[in-house]
Amino acid sequence: MIEVDLFFYTGCILAILGSLATVAGPGVKDPIVRTFNTEIAAIGVSLIFLIYNHTLALMTFVAATAVITLVLLRTITRLEEMGADV
Amino acid sequence: MLVPDFVPAIIASFYIPAVYVGIIIAFIGLMGIAIEKRDIQILILTDIVGLAMLIIVAATGTDLAEALILPGLVVELAEILAISEILVSREMRKIESKSDKEIQTSVLPLPLTLDMEIMTTAPNFIALIMIGFGIFLTGFTGGAVAGGGILLYIISRKSRGLPIAIIDGISGVSGIAWCLWIVGFVLFFITPELWLLSLFMAACGLVLKVASKIGLIGTMMREEYKRE
Repeated sequence: MIEVDLFFYTGCILAILGSLATVAGPGVKDPIVRTFNTEIAAIGVSLIFLIYNHTLALMTFVAATAVITLVLLRTITRLEEMGADV
Repeated sequence: MLVPDFVPAIIASFYIPAVYVGIIIAFIGLMGIAIEKRDIQILILTDIVGLAMLIIVAATGTDLAEALILPGLVVELAEILAISEILVSREMRKIESKSDKEIQTSVLPLPLTLDMEIMTTAPNFIALIMIGFGIFLTGFTGGAVAGGGILLYIISRKSRGLPIAIIDGISGVSGIAWCLWIVGFVLFFITPELWLLSLFMAACGLVLKVASKIGLIGTMMREEYKRE
C-alpha cells in the first residue's frame, strides 16, 4: 500500500525543483525552455491538489496550464519573429 | 481548537509543510523576477509565483480552497493574456518608430500549414460533444470544456478572417454573462430561499463567460497560424 504522504512530498519536491529549474536551470536563456520548465512545477502542484481531493480545481488547473502554455508560446514566437530581445 | 473535528488528522498535518513549500516557491520565483531583465522572461516567471499562491490557498484543504483556486486561475490566465498582448504591441510600436526600415515590419510568424485529414473531418463531431458536455456541466469547468470545443473547431477550420461584428458580439455576450453572475450572487444573499435559481444564474453566466474567452483565444491563434 502506497502511503498518501508519498504523493504529497513528491508533489512538494517536484514543485520546488521545477521552480528552481525555471529560475536558474540549464538553458533558461531560451524562453521556450523556461516555459517547458514551468510544467514540472505544475505537475507538482497537480499532485498537491490530488492529495487534498480538489477535483474541480485539479481539472481546471490542467486546462488553464495548457491554455497559458499556448498563450506564452504564441507570444514568444511573435516576439522572436519581430526580432525582439527575448 | 482552531482545526474543526471533521478535518482528518493527515490533512491537518499537511498544512505546515504546504505553507512552507508555497513560501519557498514564492521566494524562488520573486528572486528570479528581481534578477531577470527581459520582459518575456519575467512574464514566464510570474507563472511560478502564481503556482506558489495556488499551493498556499490549497493548503486550507476544504471546499473553501477549491472555491478560491478557480478565481485565482482565471485571474492568472487573464493577466498573462493581457501582459503578453501589451508586450507584443509595444514591440510593434518600437519597430514602427525606427527611422531606418531595415527590419521587416511583418509581425506575423511564417506560414504554417497543418494539412491533416483529421482536422477537416473530426472537429464538427468532437466540438459538438465537448460543447454539449460543457453546457451540461455548467460553471467554470463546463466553460473550460465548451471553450476547448470552440477552440478546436476554430483552429481546425479552413476559413479565416472573423468579421469584427462577431468579436463585438462575443464581448457583448461576456458582459451579459457577468450581469447574470452578479445578479445571481446578489440574489443568493438577499433571498436565500431562491438559492437554486441564483446558483443556476451564476453557473450559466460563468459557462458563457469562460467559453467565449477561450473561443477568443482560438480566434487569435487561428489568425496567426492558419495563414497561407
